[in-house]
Amino acid sequence: MSFEQYVVETLKTVVFPGFVFIFFLSLFYEWFDRKFYARLQNRVGPLYTGFYGLLQPLADFIKLLSKEDIVPKKVDQLLFTMTPLFTLALSIFATLLLPISSNQGVVSFNGDVIVSILILTFICITVFYAGLSTYNRYAVIGAERLFLQMIGYEIPLTLSVVGVALNAQSLLLSDIVLSQERWWYILGPQALGFIVFVFAAQAELERIPFDLPEAEQEIIAGWNIDYSGRRLAMFRLARNIELVFLCGLAATFFLGGPLGPTIEGYTPILYTLYFVIKSLFVLAVLTVVRALFARLRIDQVESFCWKYLLPLALFQFVLVRLIL
Amino acid sequence: MGLVSWARSKSPWIAHFCTGSCNACDIEILACLTPRYDIERFGAVLKGSIRHADILLVTGPVTRQVRDRLLRIYEQMPEPKYVVAVGTCATSSGVYRGAYNVYPGVDSVIPVTAYISGCPVKPENIINGLSFLLKKIGESK
Ligand code: SF4
Repeated sequence: MSFEQYVVETLKTVVFPGFVFIFFLSLFYEWFDRKFYARLQNRVGPLYTGFYGLLQPLADFIKLLSKEDIVPKKVDQLLFTMTPLFTLALSIFATLLLPISSNQGVVSFNGDVIVSILILTFICITVFYAGLSTYNRYAVIGAERLFLQMIGYEIPLTLSVVGVALNAQSLLLSDIVLSQERWWYILGPQALGFIVFVFAAQAELERIPFDLPEAEQEIIAGWNIDYSGRRLAMFRLARNIELVFLCGLAATFFLGGPLGPTIEGYTPILYTLYFVIKSLFVLAVLTVVRALFARLRIDQVESFCWKYLLPLALFQFVLVRLIL
Repeated sequence: MGLVSWARSKSPWIAHFCTGSCNACDIEILACLTPRYDIERFGAVLKGSIRHADILLVTGPVTRQVRDRLLRIYEQMPEPKYVVAVGTCATSSGVYRGAYNVYPGVDSVIPVTAYISGCPVKPENIINGLSFLLKKIGESK
């Protein structure tokens, strides 16, 4: 590699479509989520921080960074300090896999579909340890619920992705994107897979109706109850980046990723625009689900996942097999 | 206004603590969060955990029973922290003043930054007090 290539690759990873871009995109997504959620509830939502409250997530982030960072005496010091870092690092790495400005992510290798699902599980496990390490009663309950919930949604999530991978005959995200050049998968039998994926993503992100691990009215703040200041900021940022990642993943698997009509010379910009629009559509669906439902009980979550999501995912799988 | 104080004044996360009020003030606080008044306009979010909060809204006269709990809750908040006494009871213990089981106001137990009076307070009044507090936070170094 020549020097220029090194510079380009570094800029790709650090600035666009890497860390800096993802950071601001995640803040924008949080704003969109909050604002749209508020509008659905007939509220105004963030308004006075920047243009229509656009800077609200940034203000939250800076404020949390500048707050006192309390480490309670009885927590497991190592896990308590390491888990926020791990969660953030994992979610940032995950977004590097996303095809944003071209049909390939910054990192692309055979089997990255599996890795993207794997990272989601890893994030779940680090968060579980984050809850466990505080030895707080509520946090432990939250962490347990997180794991129980994971048993429910993980298998349908993977199955819905398997259907897509089967249709594309590949485990490469870029191949999946390219195979949707003629028609998007959501238009075929994968529409069922999309529904499964959206609900599983909702559960993965711990949003209503699956927000049991953080259920504010029952267990105060769940697993993150004892985190404050910097660590909480890291967790929140990791959650937002995960939101970007899951919305982007849904767009990649079912909505044709960044593909769309292009003009010569402006391809990366247009691709990024398409990607953002498509994943915002997914985010809008997620937000509507959040606004429509009320929180389920943990047994209801399990039976919902096993009785409805799993058969739906299997049915989609069979349909894909029949069509192929 | 520095970046940090700007962020602090734009993102007040509140926690709500009832020290023995008659619940009218609490309901008015909830009214602030509903579509009609919606203090999320200012970035205010109601937080469950005290470790996430910046502003403690205290309602009601501080009873002898609740004093220790209030102190403990206050000490668990991360700095910088602000306390707002909501309602006449919280500011001066109101109609209960002089009763054998209450302290004369929240400020006799923990330091208070802003007082909002009214029995019960009006949501407009709470928003007024909150914006006053946020202005103070924004001006501070
Ligand atoms: S100020 Fe009035 S309304 Fe508020 S708690 Fe006291 S008695 Fe109730």
